[in-house]
Amino acid sequence: MLTTLATLAGLALAQQTDTTVPVRAGARLEVNNFGGEIAVKTWSKTAVRVTASHSSRDRIIVDASEQVVRVKSESRRGPSQVVDYEITVPAAMALALSGVYTDITVDGSQGEITAETVQGTVKVSGGVGNVSLKSVQGDVTLEKARGRIDLSSVNETIKASEISGDISAETVNGDISLVQVESSNAEATTVNGDVLYDGTIKDGGRYRFSTHDGDLRVSVPEKSNVSVSVSTFDGDFSACFPVQLVGLKTKHRFTLTIGSGSARLELESFNGDIRLCRPGQLAKDKDWRAKSKDWDKNKDHDQDHDQDQEEE
Amino acid sequence: MSDRWTDRLSEYLDDELGAADVAALEAHLPSCADCQATLEQLRRVVARAEALDDRPPTTDLWPAIARHVGVVSLDARRARRRLSFTVPQLAAAAVALTLLSAGSAWLLLRRPAGAPPSQSTTTPSPILTNVGTYEANPRYAAAVADLERVLAQGRSRLDTATVRVIEKNLGIIDRAIRDAQSALAADPANSYLNLHLAQEMRRKLELLRQAAALAGART
Repeated sequence: MLTTLATLAGLALAQQTDTTVPVRAGARLEVNNFGGEIAVKTWSKTAVRVTASHSSRDRIIVDASEQVVRVKSESRRGPSQVVDYEITVPAAMALALSGVYTDITVDGSQGEITAETVQGTVKVSGGVGNVSLKSVQGDVTLEKARGRIDLSSVNETIKASEISGDISAETVNGDISLVQVESSNAEATTVNGDVLYDGTIKDGGRYRFSTHDGDLRVSVPEKSNVSVSVSTFDGDFSACFPVQLVGLKTKHRFTLTIGSGSARLELESFNGDIRLCRPGQLAKDKDWRAKSKDWDKNKDHDQDHDQDQEEE
Repeated sequence: MSDRWTDRLSEYLDDELGAADVAALEAHLPSCADCQATLEQLRRVVARAEALDDRPPTTDLWPAIARHVGVVSLDARRARRRLSFTVPQLAAAAVALTLLSAGSAWLLLRRPAGAPPSQSTTTPSPILTNVGTYEANPRYAAAVADLERVLAQGRSRLDTATVRVIEKNLGIIDRAIRDAQSALAADPANSYLNLHLAQEMRRKLELLRQAAALAGART
């Protein structure tokens, strides 16, 4: 994706900047980088260290106040083009990272994170509180975060694992995978892609997963209390465990209640299939894996599956 | 799929049926899968409408919406939720909320520096139509056209790869909208299809708004 920029960067990144500034607790880091990379890692010091690889024509500016540390670049001849930042911050520091042709990575954060790019990936490990990750043309990947989590892409996939809290994930043309999730409020929606949710279903929780052209695979732990509504237009439903259907309007729209039904789980796929399994089963689900492989190969959904209710 | 009770399920949910009708309907429900399913769908629509309250728009648009739908106040609505509309009307209302929110956001984006924020983008007009025909609604069409025009104007500022991706994804959403509209033509009362169409229309506005914002930035 960034091949051209990377090639140019290799030729142009001729200078290193290395600056360390002290910060107070509660200060926020803001970085805007038009093209290149923003890589943030953490340490135990109350200071921010900024190292940057950039053109000799560019100047890196680190503007530190009590509340905010702002990092940006300036060029003597127009705007800076490509800068690779490696920034080390206190773990709890809030991060606001943005760019255009920019890959963003964060490792080990225990603070709030906002990361937005247009043509680049966002990959984050950590994050507490509001965690908002967005890209237009890049994968969005998150692990080990907790709080209010908002993940968005347009043309690529979203993957999250070992996360907890309120979760929202949305893309247009890509798959969404949420695994090892602990949440009482989760939503994932795409237009052209599959959705996988492997996590908790908590009493009183709300869960909604939808796609237009793709399949849904959702785990329902044993002893869950959940009312499941299933809606498709041209897809089928199946489960890895026995389920009792009620209010069967057509084979494409019905509800089923597990336990007391206190949680609400909405599953909607216009053109794809919907499958319920137990946590951890989805990855081992041979029938579905074979189907997914076919789907990946052909990008053409097999819609002849009959509703099956297999024994666990 | 309709029987004599289908059109009265919303009254039932609102506790507006007389005691005799309630008893008759509750006696009828166990033997009528259609009514059970429709009732469940209505409950889902209400639940989803309730969820909209969790993310209020930047500008308080509710008073104008309330005038349209004849509700006195948000507090009053919360105190006793009324379900006096058909499923397609509720889905259309969901789109209207998004449209108003998107329109407001766009106006705020366009607002010259120093100018006061706009209070409301609403003008009195019927908004509760079947969502299946909503794309033809002048206000939705105008909002889409506005954003498309801004996008066209800023196109030269966008990277060609970004333009291609945006156009490709708008095409994907348009295809989903057409699919939903075709399906709705055959089953206009299908609440899932109404909500699905509303969702895709909202998504189109959101992507256009995002693209227009990008076109206004340095990309």
